[in-house]
Parts: sequence; C-alpha cells; structure tokens
Amino acid sequence: MSLLTRIFKKSPNPLPPPPPPREEAPKARPTAKTAGQHKPEQLGGQALSGVRQIIAVASGKGGVGKSTSAVNLAYCLIALGYKVGLLDADIYGPSLAIMTGVGNPEEMQGALVVPPIHQGIKMISVAMFASASSAQILRGPMAGNMIKQFLTNVAWGELDYLLIDYPPGTGDIQLTISQTASLAGAIMITSPQEIALADVRKAIAMFGTLKVPVLGIIETMSYFICDSCDKKHFIFTQGGGAKLAAEFALPLLGQIPLAAEITASSDEGKPLSLHRTSSPAAQAYRAAAEQCLSELGRLSQQNTAALGSFTLHWKQ
Amino acid sequence: MNYPAASAIKEIWQKDPRTLAATWLDNRQAQWDVVALRRQCPCAECVDETSGARKLVPEQIAESVRPLVIRSVGRYAMAIEFSDGHRTGIYTYDLLRKLSQQ
Repeated sequence: MSLLTRIFKKSPNPLPPPPPPREEAPKARPTAKTAGQHKPEQLGGQALSGVRQIIAVASGKGGVGKSTSAVNLAYCLIALGYKVGLLDADIYGPSLAIMTGVGNPEEMQGALVVPPIHQGIKMISVAMFASASSAQILRGPMAGNMIKQFLTNVAWGELDYLLIDYPPGTGDIQLTISQTASLAGAIMITSPQEIALADVRKAIAMFGTLKVPVLGIIETMSYFICDSCDKKHFIFTQGGGAKLAAEFALPLLGQIPLAAEITASSDEGKPLSLHRTSSPAAQAYRAAAEQCLSELGRLSQQNTAALGSFTLHWKQ
Repeated sequence: MNYPAASAIKEIWQKDPRTLAATWLDNRQAQWDVVALRRQCPCAECVDETSGARKLVPEQIAESVRPLVIRSVGRYAMAIEFSDGHRTGIYTYDLLRKLSQQ
C-alpha cells in the first residue's frame, strides 16, 4: 500500500470502499515487448499522463508569497479557460486549504487518490492528509516519498497546467519534485529586498542545474499604497525584482502590491483572482499568468522534438 | 532563459547488446558502451563527494554488466539500473555529452 493511501486511510473521514475497477480504467502502458524491444516507452504513469505541462512556482525564500501567487495564478489560468491542477508541495507548512477553503479528497480511483475540485481546480495538499493543527514531523526520505506520491498516486486526469507550489529552499524535496516530474518551466517569486533576492538566485541556479527553464520573475510586496495619499511606498526597497530579472535576462512577469486585501482574501479562503478580479493585485496576477503562457509557448516551440519522460528496458 | 539544445534528448535506443545510442536535440549522435558507463558511475558510492576522487575500481566491474532499465530523471538526467544491482547513478545529460563516443 502506498504511503499516501495509508495516510489517506488513517485520516479522520472514513472512506467509502474503493470502487470496483472501471471499464475505462487506463490500459496497461505498452511494454517493451509490444512497443518494440529497443525503443523506450513514454512514461508519466497513469497519474501524470494527461497533464500537458507542469509548472513550478518557487522561490528559495520563505514568506515571499509563493502560495498566494500559486493560488492566484491558478485562478487566472482557469479564468483564461484552461484545465488546471494545483499541488501544494509544502510538506511542513501547507497553506492551500486555508487560502482556498478546499475540502478533503473523498474517493479513490483504483490506487489513485481523486483530488477534490475547488472552483474548477483540482487540488492536493499535505494538509488534506493530516489535521490542520498537528505539525507534520517527517524526515527527509518520508517527505520526499509523500511528494513523489502526490505526483504519481493522484488522479490528476486531463489538465492543461499543473502548478506546483514549491516549499522554500533548495533541498531534498525540491530535488525530488524536479526529478519525478518533467517540469515545463519555473516561475520565481521574490519580494524586493536583497535578503530575498539572495535566496532566489540560489533557486534559479538549482533550476539551471536541473535544466528547467525559468519563465520569469514575479515580485511581490512591491509597494504599498496607503489610504490617504495614493503615493507608492516602497517598504521593502524598490526595484529588486527588476534587478534580478536583468541579472538573469528573464522577464519580470509582474509586480504585486502589498495590500491588506491580499492577506485578508488569503486568510478568508477567497483568493483575489476569483473574488476581486478588478483589484490591482488580481490584475497584476492576470497579466503575469498571460505572460507566463506566452513564455511557455515560445519555449515549447523550441523543444517540440525533445523526449519527455521515458523508460527504456534493456534487451538482454 | 533558454538552455542549449544539447541538454535535451530527441531519441534514445538500444543499439546492440552493449551499446546505448541517442540523438540530441541539436541532431548530434551519441553512443555509449554500457560497461564503460557503469565504470564511470557518478553516484556518491562510486565518487567521493568532497574530493571528487573515484572510489569505484573499474577492474572490479565485470564485462558482463548490463543495464536492466534506463529511466529519465526530470529533464536533466537519466538513471540506470544495472544487472549487478547498482542503481544509484544519475547520469546528467551534461555528463553523458562528455562521455559519448561521437
């Protein structure tokens, strides 16, 4: 039994028994024998085979608004008419459930957990497999295993984009995700101050090593407009995101203002990009999402011939 | 940010009982002797992580060693499971490019 299934079965909501295998259950992948012995089979497994592109939303730095950005970008993509999934990969500080109010998974499809759908988005978070107040105490290998199973044991189905909200840092879990999934690109999130930029540089370098193209940078907490003066106050200094973008020759995808409504909407589980689409922050996210897609389009034109995931069985 | 086409594989196949072959995205051809690949395993068991010195003794790897399965790892590398039970080597495309015979 997979780790995910085991945790799922231990969760407070008792599960209905797994349904009998369905007629349309994915057929066995072609084996080396049927596909010709010397050629690789395309991999991805049942879980990810219907996912067109996987995008990382990452930073390296904690507390810069990765999850807020991932959630808002996901709603922007839905609004643009795409099929979207969102995977909260922050094992130790999952925030997806609070930010969106999404419920827990309630059924299994064979060995796969069916992700709950919230406002059209399929969502999975570690918080769904533990109570919100209990800390996740997992050692590296367990955490890595869990994340791997979020990718391989979840019925993601047909998706245009699966966004992965990365945990901060450049360690085990980040590496595991990047090794398990063939990422189409990464969006880097940073706040403007140098102390954030320093960590984001490391994360950009990590994606460089892993040959994952960085699509661009979203700067959060860019400025604050107070109620009475309409002046932009650059609380965390000005221009950090632009500086980083210039350094790596990346597009600056957006500058998200520091606004009480962003925090409030996240805490209430009512993301701006869904509930207050005319707010400056929601508009900025919308523009960022559109620019991401054009970057992705440009990249995939260059790489159409590249082989995605593969498994080659050696003929003895 | 774009990465050179060299770092992606277009096609990969088993050429003969001990030769792995591939075409890179820039259409360059590559071939590897699988026994040599096993002897050049870059994993932490085979190469000292801090000094970079090779711990594996090439002569101790049998000529009869073969891959069982080769799997892509993300979009930057492949992992090879060998018939001698060794399976921890992750061969980055950058390394494979250097090791290739053509």
